[in-house]
Amino acid sequence: MEENKYEGLNLPNYNIPEDIQNVVSVTTIDRLYNWGRRWSVWPLMFGLACCAIEMIAAQASRYDMARFGMEVMRPTPRQADMMLVSGTVTKKMLPSIIRLYNQMPEPKYVVAMGACASSGGPFKEGYNVVAGIDKFLPVDVYIPGCPPTPQALIAGMIKLQEKIDKQSIKKVRWYEKGKVDSNYVPMPILGPDLIDVRRSAEFEAAAVKKEGVA
Amino acid sequence: MYGKGILKGLGVTLKRFADTYLDDISWWLQGRKRYYTQEGIAHRSSKNTRGIFTVQYPEEQLIQPEEFRYVPFLVYNEGAEGKKEVRCTSCGICAKVCPPQCIWIVRTNDPNTGKPVPEPKNFYIDMDICMNCGFCAEYCPFDAIKMDHDFAIASYGRNVYNLEKLLKPASYYAEIRPLNYVKEEDARKAKEAAKAAKAEAAA
Repeated sequence: MEENKYEGLNLPNYNIPEDIQNVVSVTTIDRLYNWGRRWSVWPLMFGLACCAIEMIAAQASRYDMARFGMEVMRPTPRQADMMLVSGTVTKKMLPSIIRLYNQMPEPKYVVAMGACASSGGPFKEGYNVVAGIDKFLPVDVYIPGCPPTPQALIAGMIKLQEKIDKQSIKKVRWYEKGKVDSNYVPMPILGPDLIDVRRSAEFEAAAVKKEGVA
Repeated sequence: MYGKGILKGLGVTLKRFADTYLDDISWWLQGRKRYYTQEGIAHRSSKNTRGIFTVQYPEEQLIQPEEFRYVPFLVYNEGAEGKKEVRCTSCGICAKVCPPQCIWIVRTNDPNTGKPVPEPKNFYIDMDICMNCGFCAEYCPFDAIKMDHDFAIASYGRNVYNLEKLLKPASYYAEIRPLNYVKEEDARKAKEAAKAAKAEAAA
């Protein structure tokens, strides 16, 4: 159990002799880097639906997300670390969300809060709703609930912090060579069937095949 | 005079600030713990609380009312030798009433006769679609599906629960919803007694 808890946490794995244990402490750059990041995850200030109300409640003094260093809701994506997709993502709103995501600097995280953002929820087959933001953005944490209570939201935030803890500076995508903006998501085309530009080649091939058969 | 309201508001804030420390001191003098205990959180949730009322979530949790509902779970009775007697008969009423249609049941068929057996082979609920309405628990004629109190279920992937993950013992249900549990057990016993009496009268 104890070993499981610390697995993948970038520990130095260096045994300090017993007689100097209270004088010397050894850590890794990863631990230091992640410690700084995990306690200053600044969310982007935007809400989409009723989940936003719970998000506001979690930010207020009753639950106080400032205890996790997440109190600074940035009104600009340039200063935000985390995108909390809190509510129903309509097809009309999606291009704006993608644009905001692309404007966020790395490291950036996406949290799908509630049923609508995770999967479309009760509107999953609606004509105007995207069935889950994960169809377009890489989601890091899914928080079920309709809406998740402030405590459930904070539980999700703790999950995100645990994820940050396990990342290593050597492997993270934003320091990879030759990949300046590896996580850029092309803007979807707004229309009756919202098109994910990344998959347009696939759609074109399917269309050609269909025509060929007919 | 203008600005009186602002001063009054600042006074309220200052009073809250002072109250926090006064309360801390009075609790400390009484030798009680104000934080991270059930007693402390109960006091800070009550209307008599003064000063700080923040719920320090991971260390302490709000005391959930009995009817608090989050995602559903399946109840099983603990049979002899730890055998799980699943209450669900895979009738499919919950899947039918579910507004966002997030329940999927796989029925069991008898391998010899091919006839359906009243026991689910598997049971899937997509927790990311579930909207916590509680209709499934409301409509279940066998008291097999109930709403859970556990809300810390966020994960790194889609939360599609299968039968194994959904099953929780009846004792757990009795623990989170004691009043409902007693009510349901009484109703079930009364029904059984009436059935027995009827059978006796017929004989």
